[in-house]
Amino acid sequence: MHIPDNYLSPSTCAVVGAAMVPVWAVAVNKVKKEITKAKMPLLGVGAAFSFLIMMFNVPLPGGTTGHAVGGTLLAILLGPWSACISLTIALLLQALLFGDGGILAFGANAFNMAFVLPFVGYFIYKFIKDRVKSEKGEYLGIALGSYFGINAAALLAAIEFGIQPLLFKNAAGQPLYCPYPLSVSIPAMVIPHLLVAGFVEVLFTVAIVAFIKRVSPGILYEGAKQKTRPLYGLIAALICLSPLGLLATGTAWGEWGSDEIAQVVSGGKALGFTPQGMKNGFSFESLIPDYAVKGLPDVAGYILSAVAGAAVLILLFKIIGSVKKNKTENISG
Amino acid sequence: MPEWLLKDENYVPQGDKDTFINKSILSLLGVLSRIRAQGGYKTDRLAVNPTLKVGFTVLLVVLLSISRSFAFVIFINVYLLAALCLLKGEEILKILKTSFAVAAFTFIILLPSVFWGNYYSICMITPKVFATVTAVNMLSHSTKWNAITGAVKSFFVPDIFILVLDITIKYIFLLGEFSLNMLYSLKLRSVGKNGDKYTSLSGVAGTMFIKSKEMAEDMYSAMECRGFTGEYRRYQKIKFTFADFLYIMIHMAIIFVFIYLERA
Amino acid sequence: MIDLKDVSYSYSGIKALSHIDLHISKGEAVVLMGPNGSGKSTLLKIINGIAVPDSGVYRFNGEEITQKKLQDTKFSKLFHQKIGFVFQNSEVQLFCPDVFDEIAFGPRQMGMSETQVQQRVDDCLELLSIQDLKHRQPYHLSGGEKRKVAIACVLALNPEVLTLDEPMNGLDPRTQRWLVEFLVRLNRAGKTLISSMHNLEMVQEISRRAVLFDENHTIVADCPTRDLLEDMDLLKKVNLVDEYYHKHDGSGHSHFHIHSSPFHED
Repeated sequence: MHIPDNYLSPSTCAVVGAAMVPVWAVAVNKVKKEITKAKMPLLGVGAAFSFLIMMFNVPLPGGTTGHAVGGTLLAILLGPWSACISLTIALLLQALLFGDGGILAFGANAFNMAFVLPFVGYFIYKFIKDRVKSEKGEYLGIALGSYFGINAAALLAAIEFGIQPLLFKNAAGQPLYCPYPLSVSIPAMVIPHLLVAGFVEVLFTVAIVAFIKRVSPGILYEGAKQKTRPLYGLIAALICLSPLGLLATGTAWGEWGSDEIAQVVSGGKALGFTPQGMKNGFSFESLIPDYAVKGLPDVAGYILSAVAGAAVLILLFKIIGSVKKNKTENISG
Repeated sequence: MPEWLLKDENYVPQGDKDTFINKSILSLLGVLSRIRAQGGYKTDRLAVNPTLKVGFTVLLVVLLSISRSFAFVIFINVYLLAALCLLKGEEILKILKTSFAVAAFTFIILLPSVFWGNYYSICMITPKVFATVTAVNMLSHSTKWNAITGAVKSFFVPDIFILVLDITIKYIFLLGEFSLNMLYSLKLRSVGKNGDKYTSLSGVAGTMFIKSKEMAEDMYSAMECRGFTGEYRRYQKIKFTFADFLYIMIHMAIIFVFIYLERA
Repeated sequence: MIDLKDVSYSYSGIKALSHIDLHISKGEAVVLMGPNGSGKSTLLKIINGIAVPDSGVYRFNGEEITQKKLQDTKFSKLFHQKIGFVFQNSEVQLFCPDVFDEIAFGPRQMGMSETQVQQRVDDCLELLSIQDLKHRQPYHLSGGEKRKVAIACVLALNPEVLTLDEPMNGLDPRTQRWLVEFLVRLNRAGKTLISSMHNLEMVQEISRRAVLFDENHTIVADCPTRDLLEDMDLLKKVNLVDEYYHKHDGSGHSHFHIHSSPFHED
């Protein structure tokens, strides 16, 4: 779910990041109201917890494992605003220090995983919990909240990917960033989340909340009774958004269908496809020399290759050296 | 003493599919060893002001992202490989491993687009991803992390936020060690078929949460005892060295190359 | 039973054990001593298969323990059943919602019937005199109670070897006293005991044999406990004690001892 750099255009990153700024501002204010200023550093411990939660592998049927994000879990445990800040910090450290998720895409990642995920999850949880007043109702809320929370985040990431080829193309009409349109990105992202990751998240969240309720019920976050107005607003917004997504996929599917499929079909069976691939293969050959000649004088090209060659050799020797050194240390030390 | 304790257990275990324990242990070990390695960093390599490093790394990532020139992307890759030569062998190995892994992943992700006749994406994005990952990992492997978080201060981030970042790193380590030992103990006691893996996993993660709350309370008390009121100032010494000058010059050159190659 | 030959280990470049040779026979009780950071805990980790030596050989019951063998689930599960580990921090060992589940965790995995499990748990509770904790939540117990529950849940697996990392740490004197006597009883019942310890007064009551580590992560002495405790110069040299440390009498006996212990009869 962590979007790396170069898949989204910098402008997309900037827009989504800018959308995140007011969220952060409100979150800081809300948290300040809930805890005193002197307790602000405690958010670091929450952030450490959110970071580590993402390290856990969850067992899946058949012996495989999956990762949970734990966004809804954090919102239930810490409250949605604290969860937003904790997840933001965790994502920032992942991007900056662990190379997990892009630096430019940090805003987008924060938007999906630190804002949309915990809030959708929390509001669904709260909505159901406040209406079905029994333990079953609460766990139903946790389950549905975590399921839809992560799927909403995945859908959003898919939309961010999918609008890239529509908005950013070079002169030749080729996409500059993520090349897959909504018709590909949405099913590619959402289907695995609907079928697998969503359930991983549900099992993980329900089990942990149940454990903590049993062992230390006092430390769970007790939100004030939710005002229904913003909640209905959110649900209305979601309802408005979902046909939009469908609409977008629909048209994209249509375009793709008329162009590509027609070509393949009219070309006739498998044979029709191969020559097309070969034709493009030749244009691939010409891509690099074309760029090299256009952009760079010959001499510079030679120098660049020489530096690259030398660097590769040095790196190789250094790596071999370090491996050898380790080995001898192991033998002698 | 009960009788069963006096005899050796005659036990033949069944297999169980509990790789989630080993996998969780491995990912935690990875994080912990990265943080532990912080203690061993010497400052003599790439001894450039961390603020400059963070700033120019971000700049590099931006330039790479907006560049449409294949030559520029290759130029940056070559520059990064050359700069990588200044690091130690084992660091180089770690950085390149990640870069190749991420680039390979990108390549596979973009492969289907080739069948639609789109060669631009796979040719441009793969080396861009390689360069970006290398640049960011070079920063994190060659700089002390508290210097990186401190450098964020120069970009108008409030001091208190930097304190929170540092505390986060520290508690990732503390809580990480704690959960690592819990996973070890779960592993040692998993001597057969675990009928309820979710309960075990939630026990570990849930205890980690309760522990984190407790640690936070303790930390707050300790900070209060030391007179912490919510105000925090991070002090930085600003020195300007020849290495800094060189570093700025190199990046000026990169910006120049960028403008030169993109003007077409 | 436990056989280490020229075992070395390091954590990402930092040395923790250097050329360790150690043999422990079935039914023995051995105490590992040494200053902080001398490698005692690492050795216990290797013995338990949590860490695998960088070089050297570790054999358990004649079989070499390697990464590859530990990846074989059936082998590793049997191995972990035969050797139990009580962690230094008992908190990390307790992850079940209540004490009963905690102790039943192992026996249930071993495929026992629920009545057998009940029986075993009750035996363990009685053995450690913690019957009244049965339905408590492990997380909220006191330090001493947590240690007892941790020992109970390891014993429930009926291991042949019991390893304990600093079992006396954080316990009040009365509980320490109780634990010493309990360990002696376990050893007399035939369990092999390996524990790391700082408390010099209690070392000789638990075991006749002591292994001393120095700050270079090697074994510098492996001898009868009483002889080691006499050798003040060596204990000072490895920085385990300073010059102000003194025994309470010169005869090699300390204040604390139980005359019923078989180890004083020789």
